[in-house]
Amino acid sequence: MAKELTGKVYDIQGFSVQDGPGIRTTVFLKGCPLRCPWCHSPESQEFYTQLSWIAMRCVGLDECTKCLDACTKEAISPGKTTQHAVTQKPIRHIRIDRTICDNCGDCAKVCYRNALYMCGTDYTVEDLLSRLIKDKPFYDQSGGGVTISGGEPLSQPEFVLQLLKRLKECGIITAVDTTGYTRYEMIKRILPYTDLFLYDIKHMDSATHKTVTGVPNGPILKNAERLAKDGGKMQIRIPVIPEFNDSPESIRKTGEFCKSLGAAVTVIQLLPYHNMGVMKYQRIDDSKPVFEVEPPSDEKIQSLKELLENLGLPVTVH
Amino acid sequence: MGKISSTLAVNDSNDKTMYELSPVSDRVAKIREKYRTTRPSICISRYRIVTEFYMENPQLQGILKRAKNFKNLCEKLPVLINEDEMIVGWQASKYRACALYPELSFGWFLDELKAGTIPERDVDPYDIDDKDAEYIFETGDFWRKECLSAKVDEYIPLGYFDAAGSGVTYFSSKNTCTSPVGHFVANFDKAMHKGFGSIKAEAEAKMAELEGVMFGDRVEKYNFYRAVSLVCDGMIGLSKRYAEECARLASVETNPVRKEELEEMADCLNWIMENPCRTFHDAIQCMYLYQIGLCLDGQQHGISFGRVDQYLGSFYEADIAADRITHEKAQELLDLFYLKVAEMNKIWPYFATLSGPGYTSGQLMTIGGVTRDGEDATNAVSFMMLQSAGRLVLHDPPQSLRIHKGTPQELWEAAIETTQIAGGVPTFENDDVIIPALMDRGLPIESARNYCLIGCVEPQSCGDEWACPGGNGTESFFNMLGAFLLAINNGQNPMPGPDGKLGGQVGLPTGYLYEMETFEEVLDATKEQMEYFVNWHISLVNTWEFIASQHMQLPLLSATIDGCMESGKDVMNGGAKYNSTGNAGIAIGNIADSLAVVKYMVYDKKLISARDLYDAIMTNWEGKEDLRQFILNEAPHYGNDNEYTDKFAKWASDVYGDAVSAATGPRCRYAPGLYPVTAHVLFGMMTAASPDGRKAGEPLSDGISPVQQMDKNGPTATLKSVSSINQRKFSNGTLLNMKFHPTALSNESGKSKLISLIQAYFALGGMEMQFNVVSGKTLRRAQEKPEEYRDLVVRIAGFSAYFVELYKASQDDIIKRTELNL
Repeated sequence: MAKELTGKVYDIQGFSVQDGPGIRTTVFLKGCPLRCPWCHSPESQEFYTQLSWIAMRCVGLDECTKCLDACTKEAISPGKTTQHAVTQKPIRHIRIDRTICDNCGDCAKVCYRNALYMCGTDYTVEDLLSRLIKDKPFYDQSGGGVTISGGEPLSQPEFVLQLLKRLKECGIITAVDTTGYTRYEMIKRILPYTDLFLYDIKHMDSATHKTVTGVPNGPILKNAERLAKDGGKMQIRIPVIPEFNDSPESIRKTGEFCKSLGAAVTVIQLLPYHNMGVMKYQRIDDSKPVFEVEPPSDEKIQSLKELLENLGLPVTVH
Repeated sequence: MGKISSTLAVNDSNDKTMYELSPVSDRVAKIREKYRTTRPSICISRYRIVTEFYMENPQLQGILKRAKNFKNLCEKLPVLINEDEMIVGWQASKYRACALYPELSFGWFLDELKAGTIPERDVDPYDIDDKDAEYIFETGDFWRKECLSAKVDEYIPLGYFDAAGSGVTYFSSKNTCTSPVGHFVANFDKAMHKGFGSIKAEAEAKMAELEGVMFGDRVEKYNFYRAVSLVCDGMIGLSKRYAEECARLASVETNPVRKEELEEMADCLNWIMENPCRTFHDAIQCMYLYQIGLCLDGQQHGISFGRVDQYLGSFYEADIAADRITHEKAQELLDLFYLKVAEMNKIWPYFATLSGPGYTSGQLMTIGGVTRDGEDATNAVSFMMLQSAGRLVLHDPPQSLRIHKGTPQELWEAAIETTQIAGGVPTFENDDVIIPALMDRGLPIESARNYCLIGCVEPQSCGDEWACPGGNGTESFFNMLGAFLLAINNGQNPMPGPDGKLGGQVGLPTGYLYEMETFEEVLDATKEQMEYFVNWHISLVNTWEFIASQHMQLPLLSATIDGCMESGKDVMNGGAKYNSTGNAGIAIGNIADSLAVVKYMVYDKKLISARDLYDAIMTNWEGKEDLRQFILNEAPHYGNDNEYTDKFAKWASDVYGDAVSAATGPRCRYAPGLYPVTAHVLFGMMTAASPDGRKAGEPLSDGISPVQQMDKNGPTATLKSVSSINQRKFSNGTLLNMKFHPTALSNESGKSKLISLIQAYFALGGMEMQFNVVSGKTLRRAQEKPEEYRDLVVRIAGFSAYFVELYKASQDDIIKRTELNL
């Protein structure tokens, strides 16, 4: 018997009110082909289940050494002593050597405080559906539904397709939040079951796009055009990242492209960069440098919003 | 624009909505500033008048004593009119001072006064003049035996001395009635449209009929009418004394505008109370002065205003149509009325302050809903009430908004805007559940549709029901988790008493957890203890009512409540047309989680033996932190839309609710409720560690909410879980407190999503919902820098308060409650 189809999920968020109309539940799928340095969900990037560590929950090695004892690969060792964020007491932390750790999860199993936990859970379509359908009274009351986000959900295309089909069978309104970086066939296959696409467009210059995110923007823009032509409804999301795409010139070009997509685009959403994701990096790997810049000012965002509005586009800020 | 208003009407979104706050007048801003900056004090005027009266009149008892006491107060209490006021009436001789009610309970006050702690308390301190304190010391001992609480103590059933100390019921074996009699709403329509002159005439006509033929129970009736006649005189007399003072002030006033105002006030006060109200101003003044009278007669505790927009709507419309008043002037009068209510204080025993902090007196007002005929009841005053709360940033008076299918969108939006500014004002109440629940307890549909909320969240028909929702008047709380702990500990309370000693056999010997071979045995034992203690609990409430109905009748209330004048009986003696008695169960989250954890850990998954789990609880998790963490993080918890635990919330609430509903009092059946005010903090201090991972002394769960921080799947899952409770069974009210991060509501779609959330919850059978829209970060900053957050209003449980005035544990509890951040 063939192995049952599963999808790798790293979070399910009820009462999501920023990911499409109404009250929604957003499913976050793990794995993304892009590596945007500002990504506020670093745990979404890799396709495999990862060991995560939240320092605030850890009581420190003076009180508990179970993870140390459980790790047979010696990937966990004593680390720095720092002040606990809430209690202000000094606390002797662990250090995880990510070059040795193979994400086996033995340490997380014994960490009852969930300071160590495995990020990424495999769900079958039916298991996930039974979780998502629970909030149907709220979707129905508010005109909301389910949003499938990521990572890049279309990197798990078959799972997403089957899940969308089942959601539609259950009468649930659907949305897919995508980078657009995928083969168009994938988009075309899910189109009949997708009421709305939340479609990211980050930069109009392909070379810059590739340098910064790791992939060129050609497929993204082309897919957007084809999706518009095939009747998909789109909310375009533009993350506003200082020194990357926050110049009026850059935003105008993106706006003009959106304009060219015509009636398919229902609204442009500006997502100003915020640094909430910074703390998440150390959870999965504290060895890599963290991207951190000053978030754009409200005035700046307002001026960009007006710029787009002057192009005749409806704009919201999130 | 007044100084305050510029900082009050905060609206940080750019969105234009139909509902906007307009600035308050300079006069209102000035009075509000005075309200927020005056430290409350204790006034002994009422105390002195009542003490002298009681000392001089030992021959008087019962309702005549109460009526003459009230009339005497109305004649002697100083009349106080403050600068700029338009709405007047007061129980004390000084601004922002509270009155004392020694005839109810007094020992606690004497003890605290002697200890010198009252002005020094960390929460709700009051100043008192040395000379006044001296007078109280000289006379106070008289009340130790004369007060109602002392009388109740004499009547505690003998068997209860064994059951006291269980940690389950609110009653101990003495001093249990620290704040009895309260929690009601008068028939304000009758006071406004009929007037006490006409009520007095009716009483006298009844007396005339009985004179000379006082057979059977007619002596009692005669006395009732005589008492009503006396309190009518009192009420009318008080109004006229205020009229005289207004006239006197007018005669010496040099400012012509104020002079005219004072003359207008004198005219109003001379007319109202005796006669039917003519104008909006008359009606507001009548409502306020009657409320002052009710507080003077009983005491100021959860005495509510009921459906204020329904009383005032027709007066407002008539005045506007006749050009007698402008909208702005009417709104200002309402503002001034709100401030007068907010200024009222009542001193509580220190321990009760922990349970009801924030200088609160629970004078709840109800907005909206349907009329007696089932039509939408919204009128202009409904909006004006929200406007006053919003632009004044007031937590007192608390307000409840009744929601039904035809509630106008504009009213919804105005309410959401208001709750963002004044946390938890209004609460949202579901007509579709509450009206059928009230009909289940015996009200006809017209009365059920005419319900209002009392005290915190207790529904009651307006003007024709004596629902006694507070039970013994204090609020009769029942700790479900306490009953469960006795069930698994052979009827012994595992928590040492204040003397450090363990209690004896307080409950039934139902065995120990480690002797129970199946989970069904755990459930059976729990049910047995719960029923046993519900029965004791009700027995004590009934004992209280038996005594109170002989000594603390309420003739001024009975003068207007439908049924009393017809039957010739006071409300306390069953005179009202409809009757009920309320009760409140707490810790539903903890008992649901505890049952689920025991089932999961011991009987289903067999992860631990019953003995080991039992030992861990009995030793307050000492050395068992791993186990506790496992339970907190890995075991199922109520609030996550998970049938495994949710069914125990339903089970436990059914056991409690059915037992309460089956009980009867001298007048009627009992009505169960599920709300804690903040008794969950107080009871928590007295409750041992529990299997859900809670440590001894920690707060219990709030209302029907999940245990703090255990709802991990967001608000929709929480709402699904709490809907598993059959809320219609709880006609004495349920309470669900949710906290939202401001970003959840920062734009129009956020607001409409919140409205949808409430609507969906109500469609699932939810009865009540209230919000705090404030970030945890803000609350922590407010703890650090209270001076900068003087005006931050938060919803606590049954009421709202200024955050900075709360007891530290209550502050922490609010912060700890899951923040629904987005």
